[in-house]
Amino acid sequence: MATLDMRDGRAETGATEAVQTQAFDVIVIGGGPAGMAAALAAHKAGAQVAIAEREQHLGGILRQCIHPGFGLSHFKQELTGPEYAQRFIDQVRATDIALFLGSMVLGIDSSEGAGAADPGTNEGAGDAAIHTVTLMNRAGMLKLTGRAVVLAMGCRERTRSEIKIPGSRPAGVFTAGLAQRYINIENLKPGSRAVILGSGDIGLIMARRCTLEGISVEGVYELMPYANGLRRNVKNCLDDFGIPLHLSTTVTRVIGHDRVEAVEVSQVDEHLAPIPGTERVVPCDTLLLSVGLIPENELSVGAGVELDPRTRGAVVDQNLQTGVPGIFACGNVLHVHDLADNVTTESERAGAAAAAYALGGSADVETGANCQLTVSPAGIAGYALPGRITAVALTKLNFRVRRPVDAARVRILAGDEELFAGKVRPLKPSVMESFPLPAKVIQHALDQGVSEIVLSVDPVEEA
Amino acid sequence: MAETFDIAIVGAGITGCAIARQLARFDLSICVVEAANDIALGASKANGGLVHAGYDPAPGTVKAKVNARGCELYGTWAQELGFLFCRTGSMVLGFNDEDRAHLEKLRQNGLANGVPELSIIGPERIHELEPRASAKATCALWCPSTGYVDPFEVAIAALENAVANGVTFMRSAPVKAIEVVRSDDKGVAAEGEGYARFTLVTPAGDVHCRYLINAAGNGAADISHMAGAEEFQMVWRQGNIVVLDKEPRALMPLYPVPTPVSKGVIVTGTVHGNTVITATAAVREPGNTQTYAGDVNALLGGARKLVPDLDTRRVVRAFAGGRPVIKGTNDFFIGQSAVVSGLFQAAGIQSPGVASAPAIAERMEQVLRDAGVALRERADWDPIRRVPDDFDRAPLARKEELIETDPAWGQIVCRCETVPEAEIVAAIRRRPGAISVEGVKRRCRAGMGRCQSGFCQSRVVAILARELGCDPSEVLLEDAGSWLVEGPLKGVR
Repeated sequence: MATLDMRDGRAETGATEAVQTQAFDVIVIGGGPAGMAAALAAHKAGAQVAIAEREQHLGGILRQCIHPGFGLSHFKQELTGPEYAQRFIDQVRATDIALFLGSMVLGIDSSEGAGAADPGTNEGAGDAAIHTVTLMNRAGMLKLTGRAVVLAMGCRERTRSEIKIPGSRPAGVFTAGLAQRYINIENLKPGSRAVILGSGDIGLIMARRCTLEGISVEGVYELMPYANGLRRNVKNCLDDFGIPLHLSTTVTRVIGHDRVEAVEVSQVDEHLAPIPGTERVVPCDTLLLSVGLIPENELSVGAGVELDPRTRGAVVDQNLQTGVPGIFACGNVLHVHDLADNVTTESERAGAAAAAYALGGSADVETGANCQLTVSPAGIAGYALPGRITAVALTKLNFRVRRPVDAARVRILAGDEELFAGKVRPLKPSVMESFPLPAKVIQHALDQGVSEIVLSVDPVEEA
Repeated sequence: MAETFDIAIVGAGITGCAIARQLARFDLSICVVEAANDIALGASKANGGLVHAGYDPAPGTVKAKVNARGCELYGTWAQELGFLFCRTGSMVLGFNDEDRAHLEKLRQNGLANGVPELSIIGPERIHELEPRASAKATCALWCPSTGYVDPFEVAIAALENAVANGVTFMRSAPVKAIEVVRSDDKGVAAEGEGYARFTLVTPAGDVHCRYLINAAGNGAADISHMAGAEEFQMVWRQGNIVVLDKEPRALMPLYPVPTPVSKGVIVTGTVHGNTVITATAAVREPGNTQTYAGDVNALLGGARKLVPDLDTRRVVRAFAGGRPVIKGTNDFFIGQSAVVSGLFQAAGIQSPGVASAPAIAERMEQVLRDAGVALRERADWDPIRRVPDDFDRAPLARKEELIETDPAWGQIVCRCETVPEAEIVAAIRRRPGAISVEGVKRRCRAGMGRCQSGFCQSRVVAILARELGCDPSEVLLEDAGSWLVEGPLKGVR
């Protein structure tokens, strides 16, 4: 295994030279579950692979997710986050995948002639552009070149400012993930009495985690009229511990000059606006926020990748390739997933596709297909992937709904024609849905000459 | 007995720091006494950072003089002190004939105040100067001398330079009482060396001084009262401000036609490429820095009128500050107290306090001189600040060089703003250095970005604890009482 960890003596040797360049077939940015799965899949397909990871360890955010619930679908076994990550870390370490740990990627240059060196390892790659990834670590600056790049940087938490909670700005307002890091990694207690805003999975997990660590959780408050996390987490993390969940209620003011002293909560109306007169002051010293995740695409944008305003991730095709040829995206940087297992599955596809691209043997036959996939604003679908379909093949679609419904039907439309209709079933926003779109449906749409396929999820009134 | 300073300056806001820097060139012992635990924690930290050109204030006022002169001085100050300053020019956008008449009045005002190169321009030129300005704007006052800074960077840079030249900085020293030795009527200048006219009583110890400069911002009325000088009252004209995420190209400052009390909701770029929307104006209880849903919505709405394509979802931070206004006047109060000789006032420094700071300092020097304070230039005064390395802005070769000198320059702690560990350590070791998480943020931007320290806060806490030799539970977010973690969890330490 090649390592350029700062702690590795070999790394120091190159520090005094000018910016070095190393060539690979596939460069994976991010060493979390997405990056590791993509790298392993690309490696398996025969590519020379590098992973650039800003932390000193592989595993990403899984390292602090010490609760169980991982691996049920991928390993048919319930694992904690670190255990789930370790399985991939062990696999990566058993390969010659080059690891650049403690390494921050500063930019991706995909412009023509960006490559400073030719990998020379794969003549079959034709005239594909070479991507240059500039990174830095304790040993210095470094450039990696690759025929393909997989974006796997994950996501960040939405902050207090983004949801504009009014009031003062004392210490004690933490995103749930930061509190999780304090508790699970640093062994530090962020407070004694917590209010949690947001019933996303991280908020629910942290409600239980705080309780177990002797931090009293005054309640979980949720703006929407339903819980945003997975059903199993509501049960295991709140119900089992007697933690109240207050729906259609939000924090309308932070109180306290130096440290949080209380928060004011208010009920909201059907337009999610606070209802005057419903304010209630809840004493606490800590406010945890679990109010959504945002794909971290600053690098992607810098590389010229087009984003989908709905997912805030890249627009990709059925191979998870972005609009920049040779740049792929997977995991939470593409769209926020519900389960790590689904991140793994998706990222394996991205890694394999990146390797195929880099090695010049793309699986797709050129068909000239080019069709957009959009969601119908009339329905309840919040987004759909992939945003672009360029091949006639069995295509995996992903989507999420914006609100929970007991009965809805997924339909695929082209113009006025219904190409496909799924079974009527209940759908929840907490679940990332997926279904395979048959090749013949795509072919049919192309035969109609349409440039846009619409996914519509329509609630069904049942008799 | 403790040292007697020639001059004590109360308040380490941008005004106090600028004055300290100005006076550090003279053979005087100077102490800056600050109530809070860091520089610029009052009005100076929460404003739009605009270096207004000076066409707003009524001609003949003190404000009018120091604003235009301050704006002029910023170029030199930025060069000597090594802070970021962009002189971009600005436009006041007008949307109808009534606005145009108002712009013409502003232009006349500006000419009277000595603001250079003001002109009224039409839609074509507006679009050329700032393509994102509203296409509905029919006219604008174009003012090439406007610019912007990071206001706390200016205050920090000024005080660092002052301290490097021998000025003493006392933090966490709120003045609780002022003892004044009443002298005969000979005037202050006649009094002998070492004669302490004022004693400032603070929890951090007493400070004795011959001359006292009141630059206490919102606390200026209290200081004046404690010294038995002019009685006045502060009004806290509070303003909410919103910072949006970085743009590929920073916006030129765009102003609406001003209202009688404020300049209205302004949209501007910042030295780091973010967009700032500043500020609402509402009289609230002194020291109130809360944000309000109504204010924030007014800001976002106002901003979209000036820049219709602004993505107002990308809020990085909403915060609030106050303009410390002297009740009954809109003007600054800069001069020797008419009641207590030896006390010099720099009070009521509300907007445009940032723009005026270098000129207020210059004016204060003149006020001291006129009062007969002996100002002898020091031979060893160095106007140049040693500027700390900013990794993110450093060219590639410098980045490499830094990492070579210390691998900690290669270890990024704040991913949003690309701040390595060594830069954070340097911010703590600077004089005066950071002693809190927010102090680190103001000096090197760690935690200033879009994730708002969600990823790096625990690491910054660990670095502060290590550098300050304290437990993480003693590390503060900002001032006393703002603890971040209680201590270790149960179990192993």
